[in-house]
Amino acid sequence: MPITDEMIQVATRELYSRALRKVPEDAKEGLRAAMKSETSEIARRTLDLQLKSAELAERKDRFVCSDSGVPTYFVKIGSGAVLDCDLKASIRSGYEELVETIDPPILKHVTNPLTLERSHHGKEMPLVSYDFESGADYVEMICSPKALGSGRWAALELFTFPSLEEIETYVLDVAIKAGAQHCPPVVMGVGIGGSFDYCAALAKKQTLRPLGKVNPEPVLAAMEERLKTAVNALGFGPMGTGGDTTVLGVHVDYASGHGFTPVAVCFNCWINRRTSVKMWNDGRMEWGE
Amino acid sequence: MSVREHELALPVDRAAIEVLRAGDVVYLTGEIFATAGLPTHERLLGCIEGREAVPFEMKDGALFHLGSLNEEGADGSLRIVYMNPTTSTRFNKHMPRLIPGLGLRVTGGKGGLSAESAAAMAENGCVYLAFLGGGAQIFTASIRKVTGIGWPEMVSHYRVVRIEVERLGPLTVGIDAHGSSLYDSTAQGASARREDILAQMRAERAVAAGGSVKP
Repeated sequence: MPITDEMIQVATRELYSRALRKVPEDAKEGLRAAMKSETSEIARRTLDLQLKSAELAERKDRFVCSDSGVPTYFVKIGSGAVLDCDLKASIRSGYEELVETIDPPILKHVTNPLTLERSHHGKEMPLVSYDFESGADYVEMICSPKALGSGRWAALELFTFPSLEEIETYVLDVAIKAGAQHCPPVVMGVGIGGSFDYCAALAKKQTLRPLGKVNPEPVLAAMEERLKTAVNALGFGPMGTGGDTTVLGVHVDYASGHGFTPVAVCFNCWINRRTSVKMWNDGRMEWGE
Repeated sequence: MSVREHELALPVDRAAIEVLRAGDVVYLTGEIFATAGLPTHERLLGCIEGREAVPFEMKDGALFHLGSLNEEGADGSLRIVYMNPTTSTRFNKHMPRLIPGLGLRVTGGKGGLSAESAAAMAENGCVYLAFLGGGAQIFTASIRKVTGIGWPEMVSHYRVVRIEVERLGPLTVGIDAHGSSLYDSTAQGASARREDILAQMRAERAVAAGGSVKP
């Protein structure tokens, strides 16, 4: 039995809807750990309120934030997956159905960048990226709803043969510029190398990596620790009212490239909205965060 | 020093606002005004320039940067399904004129406002209250009643909504009426620490590379 249009539509709807209501467990664990290490009382109160907000939304099955953002999806098609569907059309129709039926309704955040008009629909919406996975017998979909709050502070710059120092200084400066506008404590994603487009995707995907997993690349594992300590030492704190916790994690990935080296940085707010599903040929759907 | 907590009733006079200090926690009871719209702020500026009437009189009141899903039922009843703060710095260019123009005593949202807004607050006796971003369930729970929807022709979160709240909070005083801003002080602190942080990172990289740390 192949993967069907209906499975894709259900995945599209459910992933977005679930991401708006549930803060991932690893993010909650990160907030709880920060409560113990935070030295500022205002900051501890904010962290406590964040955990309370997450718990309330989950219990009531309602949104954590009023800004549902726009959904971005990452689709990975395993080489062993058998598809009997129009994948792209089903993601579109699943999204179109969701905005008509979701309870509670979502606000009109889809923005035409040329006219600034807002609605639930628009060119290229939802935003979807496709990839393949050798040896996998499933299709994986990840949803990351993205709003202005943390989305607008992403940055990318091109360097030529940069040293690690130049790269890390740039990342720190992007963090200083973002300040606390992105609803901290955030997860920072960093991409190094590849090409302009490839590097941005690397950074974005790193914001979706669960917290607490050590980077298998030793150079990057050390860089992640260094950057986490550095950004937290800036002192912006939860929601920017001061404190030791501005990031819960800094996640870095790289790709080989030419001597021009893009470095991309992006953020996911404290809610860390992300959901995933794996769909198998036998119709099974395994939901994850 | 432990955090000071205040209960405030709206509308509020200047003396009660001047008691508040950056870092204090506030709970609000009474009527607030909420909008998350950039076009709305443009229109409000038009109001104080006399181009059209304000949807509501806001003197001594609180105008917050809050987005909401609000609706009018077939029977004329008003309700809000959820509300939550939006980024205030988007309105940096409007607030220095709207604070005196509308006679605001309180504004707020998330992320703070510019030094120019803080100066307008100090001059006019106004504070900025910080909401938790992603606190929709906490803040929606304090809504007692929706008492008006201004400019209903706009999309939901762009309208100006008048809401009766009970103990809306906890809200942190981000900018007080004496020119003290937690946003400015944290930003200045971050810039001041940048060189030391970079030096620390340099030392850690040297250790990781097996080199010696320069004194």
